[in-house]
Amino acid sequence: MRALTANRLTDGEVVFWKQGQWVERFADAELFAPDDAEAEAAEAHAKNQITLVVEPYLIDLMESEGLWAPVSYRERIRALGPTNLNHGKQEEGGAFVEALLHASGAARSKGRVDLIRRK
Amino acid sequence: MYQYDTLDKEFLADRSAEFRGQVARRLAGELNEDQFKRLRLMNGLYLQLHAYMLRVAIPYGSLNPTQLRKLAWIARTYDKGYGHFTTRTNLQLHWIKLADAPDIMDHLVSVDMHAIQTSGNCIRNVSADPYAGATAEEIDDPRVWAEAIRQWSTVHPEFTFLARKFKIAVTASPKDRTAAKTHDIGLHLKRARDGSLGFEVMVGGGLGRMPHIAPTIREFLPANRLLSYLEAILRIYNRQGRRDNIHKARIKIVVASLGVEEFARQVEAEWEKIGTAPDLPDTELARIRGAFAPKTFEILPAVSEALEAARAAEPAFARFARNNLKPHKQPGYGIVEVSLKAIGETPGDATSEQMEAVADLAERYGQNDIRVTHEQNLVLPHVKLDDAPAVWKALAAVGLATPNMNLVSDIIACPGLDYCALANARAISVAQNIAAKFADQDRAELVGELKIKISGCINACGHHHVGHIGILGVDKKGEEFYQLTLGGSGAEDAAVGQALGPALPYDRVAGAVDTLVDVYLRERKDGERFLDTFRRTGVAPFKEAVYADAN
Repeated sequence: MRALTANRLTDGEVVFWKQGQWVERFADAELFAPDDAEAEAAEAHAKNQITLVVEPYLIDLMESEGLWAPVSYRERIRALGPTNLNHGKQEEGGAFVEALLHASGAARSKGRVDLIRRK
Repeated sequence: MYQYDTLDKEFLADRSAEFRGQVARRLAGELNEDQFKRLRLMNGLYLQLHAYMLRVAIPYGSLNPTQLRKLAWIARTYDKGYGHFTTRTNLQLHWIKLADAPDIMDHLVSVDMHAIQTSGNCIRNVSADPYAGATAEEIDDPRVWAEAIRQWSTVHPEFTFLARKFKIAVTASPKDRTAAKTHDIGLHLKRARDGSLGFEVMVGGGLGRMPHIAPTIREFLPANRLLSYLEAILRIYNRQGRRDNIHKARIKIVVASLGVEEFARQVEAEWEKIGTAPDLPDTELARIRGAFAPKTFEILPAVSEALEAARAAEPAFARFARNNLKPHKQPGYGIVEVSLKAIGETPGDATSEQMEAVADLAERYGQNDIRVTHEQNLVLPHVKLDDAPAVWKALAAVGLATPNMNLVSDIIACPGLDYCALANARAISVAQNIAAKFADQDRAELVGELKIKISGCINACGHHHVGHIGILGVDKKGEEFYQLTLGGSGAEDAAVGQALGPALPYDRVAGAVDTLVDVYLRERKDGERFLDTFRRTGVAPFKEAVYADAN
């Protein structure tokens, strides 16, 4: 599965796409099947929302403890908050947070690759 | 310390107002992100993983209590109650909202601070020896010259759009506490036989993808010709810096590809053309020097009875004094190092309460002077030895009395993948794991000076190339791995470390450091630091031990 993520313009908060809205919790993100063209359509739409978000991109997900988690470790940190202090989104706790914390898969982050390409 | 004049204050107020307008236009959609990004970066505002990050400039790492209190207040009001001191002696706030940034700038301006030239391809904040004005080793106060460079370089029209960023460090002591040789320009103040002041000029140092130790292009530059000479160097760089390839855009590549002699020749030729026009008039130099006039010190005995009594009564204080209290030029005074490396904490982080406590101590015991070091600690440069026990007690009350300066747990670490959008791997938690292994201070002292430096990516903000043990986080198919290097140094004996072997997974790094330390303890001869032993034995015994464990 995939999800669409970005940082919110006004405060930089990590946000996820959910049926035309931006939500803060990864647990609330809309999931797109790997071959679902709606994902690309949402991404294209998001790129035009310049007063709402910065640098939207799609991330790949995998199963973890029966739930979905980003494949990239960087994206899990974005979804949870930093690991050195417990004051990011992980503060909320719950099954989704646990699923992300316990996910062990890994892949390069498209967000970082894009960032470096743009530099 | 140097006081901004009316012109400086007006400029900062104008600049802050301009930034407010830029943010408003971005929020309204009149600027897109590509247009806005270059403007926000001119004001030290980055977008990181979880929020915006504001990098506040701390010129030559020098702060007064009012400024530090304001930083603490900003961190509490607009961030999550802490800040991160960096290897460029700046302060990063990691949880900033774009909509708040203009107000934060105004608050900074109210205490003569800003975030100009903490980002972008310009001459960055100039750093200097954190012991300036306090150590007997120095032959002149490097802050005088760093301030002159700050004034000259601030929004310098010719050098605002260089091929890449440009960093300058100034030191005046044989013991280099600025990592001068890893800078684009390192300046080392010296005195000639005739008593005149001058600089050894080192150019083309840098870390990142291609580490270089700066070679000397001029052994002795008369001090009063500094600015014209810098202009000549920058002009050669501006003309020849590689704008076609970001990885080859720093001045180190120009120096390396031309060769030191040819680069120096071109600089000298350019310098001749420039003449003396950009140089600082003696009157202006005297005005700046006046701002750093020596403090008024009391006449005190060299040995403090109060200090000695506290040493005898309190073993914990004795340990602190042994590791964190350094000699001052004035009898009866000391330099107090405030460690931001408490075991288990994030290297370089200070909470608002901690910043306020240090500001209070500087006011009460430290002549209103606070310094930031490139090793991510703070310094109270002028403390009476009689007051050292009270300062220690107050620091301990807020978790700032860790007695580990220059020891194995005094680790440099960049924010890494926990915060930084460019990082490949975490650096902070690696530092925490290593520090936990050496929480026993007796063992840490037995090991002695050992500088561990950790970067979360090849950009090397954590100076890993010049760590006695350097640790670089890499992305191996999306997983965190770490390459270890040994034998680097950022000090006067600067060197780039040598690779130990294949990268190690995250959970093996702290154990590997433990093994490296065991090898050192086994191999060392009298008086040798880790670095000395490594330089004598080479990498073989260390490599064998670490990878034997892996098999």
